[in-house]
Amino acid sequence: MEISRRAALTKIATGTAAVVATGVAGSVALSGVASADEMKQAPANAVSMLYDTTRCVGCKSCVAACAQENKMERDKRDPLYLAPVDLNSFSKNIIKLYKPSETGVYSYVKAQCMHCVDPACVAGCTFHGLSKDAKTGVVTWTSSLCIGCRYCEISCPYGVPKFQWEGYNPKIVKCEFCKPRLEAGKDPACTSVCPTHAVIFGKRDQLLAEAKKRIAEHPDKYFENRVFGEQEGGGTQVLYLSHVPFEKIGLPNIGTESIPSKYLKWQKRLYQYLAVPVVLYASIVGVVRGNFKHHQEHMKREEEKTGLRAQL
Amino acid sequence: MITRWERSVPVHDVPIWTRPFKVLVAIGALALGFTLWRELAGLGPATGLNDAYAWGIWKTFNVMVLTGLGSGGFSIGIAAWLFRREKLHVVMRTALLTSFLAYLSGLTLLAVDVGRPWNMYWLLMPWKWNFHSPLLEVAFCMPMYALLPLLLENVPPVLERVHATKPQYRELVEKAEKIMVRFYPYVVGLAYVLPAMHQSSLGALMLLGGHKVHALWQTPMLPLLYVWAAAFMGFSCVAGTLLFCTLVWNRKFDIEVLTEMNRITAWLIGSWMLVRMVDLIARGHFLTSLSLDIFAGLFWTEMLFLGVALFMLLDSSKHYDAKLMFYAHTVAAVGGMLYRFNPTTLAFQPRPGAFYFPSVIELLISIGYVSIAVAAFAYLAKVLAILPATNRDWFEMERAQKDRELQGSKAPAVGTPDYATGNSFTD
Repeated sequence: MEISRRAALTKIATGTAAVVATGVAGSVALSGVASADEMKQAPANAVSMLYDTTRCVGCKSCVAACAQENKMERDKRDPLYLAPVDLNSFSKNIIKLYKPSETGVYSYVKAQCMHCVDPACVAGCTFHGLSKDAKTGVVTWTSSLCIGCRYCEISCPYGVPKFQWEGYNPKIVKCEFCKPRLEAGKDPACTSVCPTHAVIFGKRDQLLAEAKKRIAEHPDKYFENRVFGEQEGGGTQVLYLSHVPFEKIGLPNIGTESIPSKYLKWQKRLYQYLAVPVVLYASIVGVVRGNFKHHQEHMKREEEKTGLRAQL
Repeated sequence: MITRWERSVPVHDVPIWTRPFKVLVAIGALALGFTLWRELAGLGPATGLNDAYAWGIWKTFNVMVLTGLGSGGFSIGIAAWLFRREKLHVVMRTALLTSFLAYLSGLTLLAVDVGRPWNMYWLLMPWKWNFHSPLLEVAFCMPMYALLPLLLENVPPVLERVHATKPQYRELVEKAEKIMVRFYPYVVGLAYVLPAMHQSSLGALMLLGGHKVHALWQTPMLPLLYVWAAAFMGFSCVAGTLLFCTLVWNRKFDIEVLTEMNRITAWLIGSWMLVRMVDLIARGHFLTSLSLDIFAGLFWTEMLFLGVALFMLLDSSKHYDAKLMFYAHTVAAVGGMLYRFNPTTLAFQPRPGAFYFPSVIELLISIGYVSIAVAAFAYLAKVLAILPATNRDWFEMERAQKDRELQGSKAPAVGTPDYATGNSFTD
């Protein structure tokens, strides 16, 4: 089929219009999201924990208190009571030992949810099964919104959320900052029992100030004179002071930008207001309609020639 | 004589219950049985999954890799309908059916993989969605694509069969076909936007994996590379399927159509490799690919497969050899599959010492769901006009039917309805 000059020009014009429209919609979407790109800040009244490795004696009172408060089931694979190697679906809070050699420096470390300022698990969760409280900043799990996809386990840089692998009704298990206790005006179980005050509870601002005071008082005591969680991964609400390198006690070096703002920037822009997909759809339909008509005419001619029904 | 594919013709005069078909169905049935057990016992006993490797082959292979292979309806459709590669229209039915079956099989297994599937109904309530989650995008967009445009695009062959076998519905079918034609461009538009969205989001999923995904794979370009890989994997899967069927069912092949497919696949692979290399260099990780570790090895294995495929694709067209072309597309598909598998599993390092290997039952279920899709394809290719052939083949099929009728055979072979007269044998 010959394409007339006029048809060809129209086609080029529609094509150009489609490209321009996509570009415009794209840039509108980009500018719209620019404000959302700013670093997220912790809520003003963010609750917080400060853990200091130099004060922890590894007594595991916090582990027992946590298990009791959260009515944790007993892990039958664990011959010693409450002594798992790592966080799992039977334990929301544990004490681990870092001991590279028999004689050298060693350290205990408490592991639980870090309650990130901009959590990757919350960013990836499909239906807000994991959500961050706007006032306290506590990250909690809601059973009715969770589909059990375990994307939180993939995205958490600290490996915190755990999944119940047994049974037909699995749940996600992680520290939820003893939310019921907080609502009743009490401290979390772990901080309330710690005999050496290695882990303390407070508002994030206060604890940051406290941590910095300790560093100022003992300039050579802490690793890099740094509070882990002030900026790491966009900030966390559980803060760490350590006399050994943070990487050695399970706190990876992931930079100061939060994972969602670092990695999902473009994804957010592409889907802002659904502008790009909608314009893309409209342009595709525009082009396909023309081609489809052309194709149908061709098929009709074939049908007449061969006597066989045209196939779509 | 050069064969020219002109229309889709069912695979006729071939029994349905062949031995390979029975094996596929048996594995599929076994897998379905084990699925039931998995639902009751939980993921732990059924799979090799653990808290470090929370995603196993059901997600990373059956969904993330195999829907890449099932992207023929997407990429070949774009070439045919958007870029007017007229020759490719004749392979569209094969593309659409492979895509539909790959998606359906993957999505079913996805529902088996999630721990709390009963909460999936939130998908119907947009106000409960987390709009910024790549997983939500995948979870919504994939079923939407499979059950709307992709399903509708697969309706014409079914209507055609009803038209040929059930004269009493003929008028209704013609009416339906008219509606179909009217809305086809709008359906087709969705069939390209939706896969472009979720095939790229599959790559975006691993972005949140952050530092756990090895630097050779973790890049802001992941979404683009994933959807691009889907494009050539779709071509390779469809070309491979066509060639395999040609060899198994002894059908003729159209060298012009296949050469066109080889050329487009080669272009897609070449440009993909270029983007991959440029991205690697731009991120300053080219030297990482030269270090002597398993990850650099994996990276170069991908590149080797795709490089060899590129050469074979361009070379095999010259030799007029179905087997050679089949191997070329297989190598291309494996290269693409490796790329889409690596960042989720082999190059995913949640923490030192973490280990995952799928359990026997997990593997069996994974293979079983693929078997069901393959068996369904083999069955549907015999019942419906899916695979391309010549007009002459169509007439031959009709003559064979007439002969059988004259010989007075009572039970006609399934899959050979009398398309010419429209008379059903069962009348």
